[in-house]
Amino acid sequence: MFYRLSGVYHTSYASDSRIFKVPADRNLAVFFLLFGLAAPFIVPSIYLNSYMLPWLIWTAAALGLNLVTGWAGQLHLGYAAVMAVGAYSAVHAARFGVPWEFALIIGGLASSVIGSLFAFAALRVKGLYLALTTLAMQFIMDWVLHHSPTVTGGSHASLQSPTLALLGQPITSDAGFYYVAFGWCVLVTIFMLNLKRTGLGRALVAVREKDYAAAILGVNSFYYKILAFAASSFIAGVSGALLVATFFFLATPEQFSVAVSIQALAMVIVGGLGSIIGSYFGVALILLVPGVINNLVAAIAHTLGAQVNVETLAHIPNAAYGALIVIILLIEPLGLGKLYGNIREYLMVWPFDQFRK
Amino acid sequence: MKCFNKVLAALAVTGGMLSGSLAAAEPFKIGICYDLSKAYTFATPQVSQAAMDLAKLINMKGGIGGEPVEVIVRDHGNEPQRGIECYSRLSREGVFVFDTLSTPVSLAVLPRAMEDGNILMQSLVGRGDAVDGTVFDWVYPAGPTYWGQAANNIGYIKQLHDGDLTGVKVAFIYLDYPFGQEPIEILQTLAEKEGFELLLYPVPLPGSDQSGAWSKMRRDNPDHVISWLLGGGHVVASKEMQRNRIPMDKYISVNWLNEVDIANIGAEAATGLKRGTNVVGGPDVPLRLEIISELYDKGQGSGPLANTQDVYYNTGLAMYSIMFEAARKAVELHGLPITAQSYKAGLESLEDFDANGLMAPITITAEDHGGGGKTRIEMWDGESWVPQTDWIAEYTDIVWEVVKESSSKYGQ
Repeated sequence: MFYRLSGVYHTSYASDSRIFKVPADRNLAVFFLLFGLAAPFIVPSIYLNSYMLPWLIWTAAALGLNLVTGWAGQLHLGYAAVMAVGAYSAVHAARFGVPWEFALIIGGLASSVIGSLFAFAALRVKGLYLALTTLAMQFIMDWVLHHSPTVTGGSHASLQSPTLALLGQPITSDAGFYYVAFGWCVLVTIFMLNLKRTGLGRALVAVREKDYAAAILGVNSFYYKILAFAASSFIAGVSGALLVATFFFLATPEQFSVAVSIQALAMVIVGGLGSIIGSYFGVALILLVPGVINNLVAAIAHTLGAQVNVETLAHIPNAAYGALIVIILLIEPLGLGKLYGNIREYLMVWPFDQFRK
Repeated sequence: MKCFNKVLAALAVTGGMLSGSLAAAEPFKIGICYDLSKAYTFATPQVSQAAMDLAKLINMKGGIGGEPVEVIVRDHGNEPQRGIECYSRLSREGVFVFDTLSTPVSLAVLPRAMEDGNILMQSLVGRGDAVDGTVFDWVYPAGPTYWGQAANNIGYIKQLHDGDLTGVKVAFIYLDYPFGQEPIEILQTLAEKEGFELLLYPVPLPGSDQSGAWSKMRRDNPDHVISWLLGGGHVVASKEMQRNRIPMDKYISVNWLNEVDIANIGAEAATGLKRGTNVVGGPDVPLRLEIISELYDKGQGSGPLANTQDVYYNTGLAMYSIMFEAARKAVELHGLPITAQSYKAGLESLEDFDANGLMAPITITAEDHGGGGKTRIEMWDGESWVPQTDWIAEYTDIVWEVVKESSSKYGQ
């Protein structure tokens, strides 16, 4: 009824390797693409700039982390540090007079270099040990940022970002910032959608499932792990730079602290490892839901005229939010992406699901 | 479908907001975006309670210029992203005076406030060079900067040594991140000028491990210890001082030390401990007593009574007395309704305002948004805080040099 299919059947290799194998999925994607393009005209500016913009940039970043954690299976606890490298390099480059297009690429490349350099050392170990090594990277970066005023911008550690300008056009409007974020997120999403059906993507999945089994099949696992780290770091770097250029307008170490790294990992895990749509959901849940619940609780308390202590009021959303994560992971340990997948699967041939058997 | 939940939530929120805002007239509002759930909870409950109590008291007395006042308290969990959301939401609801009481959030909101022409109050947090009103038009860090506080502490030490600091050893123990590192530069400048020896003892975050610093301090044997620690850090410091036989009266704390910390150290054990402060410590300040008799005795307080016995409650009263007084001045100068411009004028016409003996008198001008940066040293005598000096602002020219040097880099 919704998908108007009796199942997914392929009659050619071309059909088998299409990005969207189900027309309804493609239509949905096109719908959201159009919605995204029209958003500045239909979404109130508060939701556009305080919710959708950070959501899109963080989704791009989470997709990058998903590349290394979800696809290549390497736990990464220092993702915010990699974002910081990109943000600070790009902002410094832009302040130096480099056009923003190149500054963003410089940021991405700097992140890529630092991220994969670290991966060289870190990939000698696996699993939890790797996680701890990447955590060490985060702490090293925190320390460096707190102790180098020339990098972080004086004793208050806040580095102002010059006005973003792309293709010679200075960007200052809310809609402009939004489109930059939207464009970047779409770009990363297309990259990730395509990654699924390339040799690189399959090699990464092979490495994730069992790296020595992959090696026996002729996949150089070390090479692919480094490649995953480099690519994901590039995405992280550009995302970090865009976050500063379009949302914060200045870079401070707190924006890339260890707590942010944990949050980024939570986005990917709650969203679903290796799931693209899951990353969108995961970011929405981790980044936006606390604020939404907070406003909701405040509004409810206000309407009811309840005399609730502000502290209690601040902690209710936290409790609700924590419970929400636990409940979601209890219902579906593979994350929100899988939850969406289950519903989609169920509706695929509904109401004629007897044909499936 | 992925946006569906969000849209639903958004509808619910806007629905709630609309029905809420329709009910009231158009009061003067202050947006309080505070961290009520994460890192700053050692102070935010007391400060926000003070703000709400003060607003109630003012409304009982007929408001400002006949209009009621309102404080809107929201939690941002110390996350810059949520702080910006809070700022954007409230500014669309007509709020133009904001306070964040969080350095990361204040830094994140600052560019927007400057752009939008909204007043950002940031007493005791955020970038200290924002006291330079010629650069930061819309930012008001009313109260002392950490630079000024450190300079005042040195001024106090100089008084103790009869004006000669040559050969005096001053230790500076600090949390090793921007909050703690900020005063180092000014202390070094003063050490050079006054000829005292400055010894630095960085402590890693969150300040629970200080053993290395204090055992080194025992060997160095400084005459005074200036401490830029927070909350539990003071308690750890006091334990280490006892272990290393360093007398408590050498300890001069930053303003972030309250009754909870004293209780954790032990009221008796803390005797002799000093802190620099811009508000009068202790529960006997006139404004608090008035609030107790008008609100709490009638069961209309905004929170637990115990919170009002904390020095951070006084800090909150001081911060919001300034904000409401500025609104009153704005009405006096330009009448109703209060706008961001007239409020700015109101702030800049505050002169020797001390909120009925609650705090150091401040005089805000278009150039000096800090209001003079006066503090005093108080000593804990085992039961209460005893002032050791008048309200002082020392080495202001040197402090302003540092401020100008830093603020001149803004916008480049």
